[in-house]
Amino acid sequence: MRRSHPAAALLLAPIICAAELHVLVVEGLPGEDRYREQFSRQVSSIERGANSLTSSERVHVLRTGEATRDAVLAHIESLQTDVGNDDQLAIFLIGHGSYDDYEYKFNLAGPDLTGNDLAAALNNMAAGNQLVVNTSSASGATAELLAADDRILVLATKSGTERHATRFGSYFAAALSDSAADIDKNEIITVREAFDFAERQVGDYFERHNQLATEHPRLHGDRAERVALARLGGTQPPVVDTGLAELIAERDALNADIDALRLARDDMPLSEYQALLLEKMLELAMLEDAIEAREAELETND
Amino acid sequence: MTSARLIVVLAAGLACAGAFARDIHYGAVTDPEILECDAKHWRGRVDESALCYANLLRSETPASTKAEAAWALNNLKQANEWFRAAMAESPDDHATKVRWGDLFAASHQDGEAMEIYREVLAVDAGNAFAMMGAARVLVDSFEEAANSYIEPILEGVVPDEGALLGAWLLIARVGLENGNYDEARDALDHAADLIAKNEWPPVELYALRESLDLLTNRDTGDWTQQSLDFNPRWGGIYAVPAHFYVITRRYRAAIDLFDKAVEIEPGLAAAHEELGINLLRDNQMTRARGHLEMAYERDPFSPRAVNTLRLMDSYVNFRLIEDMPDTDKEVPVILRLHKDEADAIAPYAIEIVRASIDVYTERYGFELREPVVVEMYPDHEDFAVRTAGMPGLGILGAAFGYVIAMDSPSGRSPDEFQWGNVLWHEMAHVFTLEATNHLVPRWFSEGVSVFEEWRSGPNPGVRIPMSVYNAMKDDLLLPIAQLDEGFVRPTYANQVIVSYMQAGLVCDFIDRHVGPDKLREMLVAFRDGMLSDEAIATVIGVTPDEFDDAFAHYVEAEHGQFLEKLDAWHETQTGIAGKIEAGEWEGAITMADELIGLLPQYVEPDSPYLAKARAQRESGDDAGALATLETYWREGGSSPVWLKRLADLFADAGREDDAIAVHRSINLVDPLDSELHGEFGDMLLQAGRAEEARREYEIAIFLQPHDMATAWYRLARAEYALGNVETSQGHLLQALDVAPSFRPAQRLLLQLASAGADPRDANNTE
Repeated sequence: MRRSHPAAALLLAPIICAAELHVLVVEGLPGEDRYREQFSRQVSSIERGANSLTSSERVHVLRTGEATRDAVLAHIESLQTDVGNDDQLAIFLIGHGSYDDYEYKFNLAGPDLTGNDLAAALNNMAAGNQLVVNTSSASGATAELLAADDRILVLATKSGTERHATRFGSYFAAALSDSAADIDKNEIITVREAFDFAERQVGDYFERHNQLATEHPRLHGDRAERVALARLGGTQPPVVDTGLAELIAERDALNADIDALRLARDDMPLSEYQALLLEKMLELAMLEDAIEAREAELETND
Repeated sequence: MTSARLIVVLAAGLACAGAFARDIHYGAVTDPEILECDAKHWRGRVDESALCYANLLRSETPASTKAEAAWALNNLKQANEWFRAAMAESPDDHATKVRWGDLFAASHQDGEAMEIYREVLAVDAGNAFAMMGAARVLVDSFEEAANSYIEPILEGVVPDEGALLGAWLLIARVGLENGNYDEARDALDHAADLIAKNEWPPVELYALRESLDLLTNRDTGDWTQQSLDFNPRWGGIYAVPAHFYVITRRYRAAIDLFDKAVEIEPGLAAAHEELGINLLRDNQMTRARGHLEMAYERDPFSPRAVNTLRLMDSYVNFRLIEDMPDTDKEVPVILRLHKDEADAIAPYAIEIVRASIDVYTERYGFELREPVVVEMYPDHEDFAVRTAGMPGLGILGAAFGYVIAMDSPSGRSPDEFQWGNVLWHEMAHVFTLEATNHLVPRWFSEGVSVFEEWRSGPNPGVRIPMSVYNAMKDDLLLPIAQLDEGFVRPTYANQVIVSYMQAGLVCDFIDRHVGPDKLREMLVAFRDGMLSDEAIATVIGVTPDEFDDAFAHYVEAEHGQFLEKLDAWHETQTGIAGKIEAGEWEGAITMADELIGLLPQYVEPDSPYLAKARAQRESGDDAGALATLETYWREGGSSPVWLKRLADLFADAGREDDAIAVHRSINLVDPLDSELHGEFGDMLLQAGRAEEARREYEIAIFLQPHDMATAWYRLARAEYALGNVETSQGHLLQALDVAPSFRPAQRLLLQLASAGADPRDANNTE
């Protein structure tokens, strides 16, 4: 049984709990069969990640065929009535892109979605917290166009001139269900964690094959480590037991102490730091055991 | 002149050709004032000649005279300016213009030199010295066009005895490099006649005669003493033979001669350079740097000196790792590895080197006497510079004796580079070179190395690329007496690799069909100074022709049946690709089986095993895929992607020992994947092999995996299993410092803290 983990509670509660998360996933034209399979897998992975964080009603997926420029823009427009300033909007573009030294286009059936289309639509949104993940080739061309306060941008390439089909999207999507991407082991994959994981995999790929890298992913925005993309193990049940809630509150406080200790690491001798860390970690481990035991007890009673 | 033409076409680079800043010109210069100074210089009256040249520079002499004088005093910049001035004064002075070209050639600017020679020949088509200059440059750069310049001189179409002498000397050098000693001797006889007739300095002739004697183990005259009598300050008498020692891999003998060369002619930049490079091959770093710096000081235009000095500067980024022996009988192993990958490669490299020493010592009856040094370069061009002084080398590794240099595993894609086998191959060279005092011919040394890769290497199996089978079918294998030529002057694409494989097959033939001790006996014969034909006659008891016949029967018996069906193979191979593309898995499997039946040992990247395994996987037949990949692996297949799948299939099937063995194979191809080390460690720990697991986990951490918390936790488990509770706790804290919520680490921490923690429970904290 998966539980709420301390870092998730500390860092992500404002985003996950207090605000609503709205997700739009767009699957572009694949061109070739191999990309059809890849894009489909990536979209499914992102959809699963989104469903682990928010109600499926707020996760909208436009698959190849139904994903047209009009459909994308219409959905974003429709969200204007539902999405408040405190809410979060996440848009994922999975597919191929192009750039003709003038305009970026995300390849869709019918007219393509341009960078300007997307910028205009997003700039009209009330949502203060926006995330745009564009894994397409040439997506770096939209960096300046889409840059805005409170908007996090994840782009597969550094510029519009990186025009080869990208590998970034596969790795980014894989990160959403890979515990190796969960650096702090809090069972939550943040934008930062997914990006770092994918960026490293891309770099490793080209290095190991002795090839010049044809893509250099970019991340813009300073809250990437605070924004969740997926919860490993699926949806978290609400905590209704008072005893469990107290234990969780105690653990949250202890985690805050540990965070403070880690920040003060450079101000004390290493041996003192290690001794204090050991003490806190043992305490935390015992608390986690207690939480697990209580959860098991509740499960048995159910 | 057909034979001369063939010789020149593909001659190896004449590395010693630039050994003399201003060569003896054999009549290319006719200025009496210069000739007067030259006469002193050529007899070794260096101080007198220097004063003579300096006086010419100071007095009212033509610009062309000053150019030669400045060049003789090694002031190349000033010489260039005077040549420029001379040409401005007398644009039609073709002889001076050719000398200007010679200056460029001597200062490593072949392009400019060729331009000048061509300009001269455009207006003076019969200029013999321009033709000779062009021929020298083109031979150096392996250009076939060299023949079109040298043939008119040799055929007398362009009569000039000085140029003709240059042509014979060039042919002699090329003949010596290629092992065509009779032709070299003939060319030198022609040269001797011309030198005697014109009373030109004979020292270069003596140096080449001495070289011929060295290469053929004969003594036809005291050429060195005669040269020293003529000119006691001419270093070429040592540097030229030293060059031939280098190309026959007798580096220490070369070092001795280069030492003598710079002793009698300290200004000989090329000898300092060669001395530096060869000292480096002998792991004498400090002396090497000293001579390379002297070379650079005297000849700052030399790319080999500059490249090698830059490479040595980069050694600050490398670590020296010494593995000291357990007994007095063993030798130390020293690794020079880039610091970013040293800890990941060193454990395996040491293991391979030690294992190879055990195998080869027993097999070849020779015990190493000095430490083995292994250098691995992440950047292939650094390896190339280390080996040849210049980038652009196509090989993977080189052995200079006890020193090996090779690409590191990160230098090439793991799909194309079995670094473990390459190291095994190079270690065989250490033995064949040292056991014969470096007298082993190339074909035999390469043959033993390839054969040992197949038979005893860390990933054994007879791996012969399809291009080699194609060459067999086209009857392109060389007679044994000419096999060396396939390495040094290939005449068709892939001939070098064909020659490697042929040499390996020859050794396989000798070992299996002539006698298991014969390879060792051949080494003894070479050590005793026998050339290939003598060694074959003595050890095997046949003439080279008889050997070729017997080998041809062996090839026919081993591969004839397959070669008959080679065309069908290619057709079916194409058919498989089509079936795979169309997703027709059953058809692909049937066709792959057909090819596997024809050549079960074929495990190259386009192996039918891989096509079959893919088709089986796609059709959900994991058991079938496992069986196919297992055969592929046991035959020596090494694709890391497929071996990883095989390891997973073994693990899923509960065959942990096999999974572990496959992971070992993967490490010999792809040792820099941190996650693979982690997974391998998990398997080992699960199998109760905590010590080995710890090594894998340590390597994983060294490689800085993305998921550091898991890496530290894994290491903590191994330490715990080994009973090192305190160390384990330290690693757990490192894991939890990164990820405080990491439950498995928390559980193990509590377990450690509890009384009576039992290390055997290391696997029970997930």
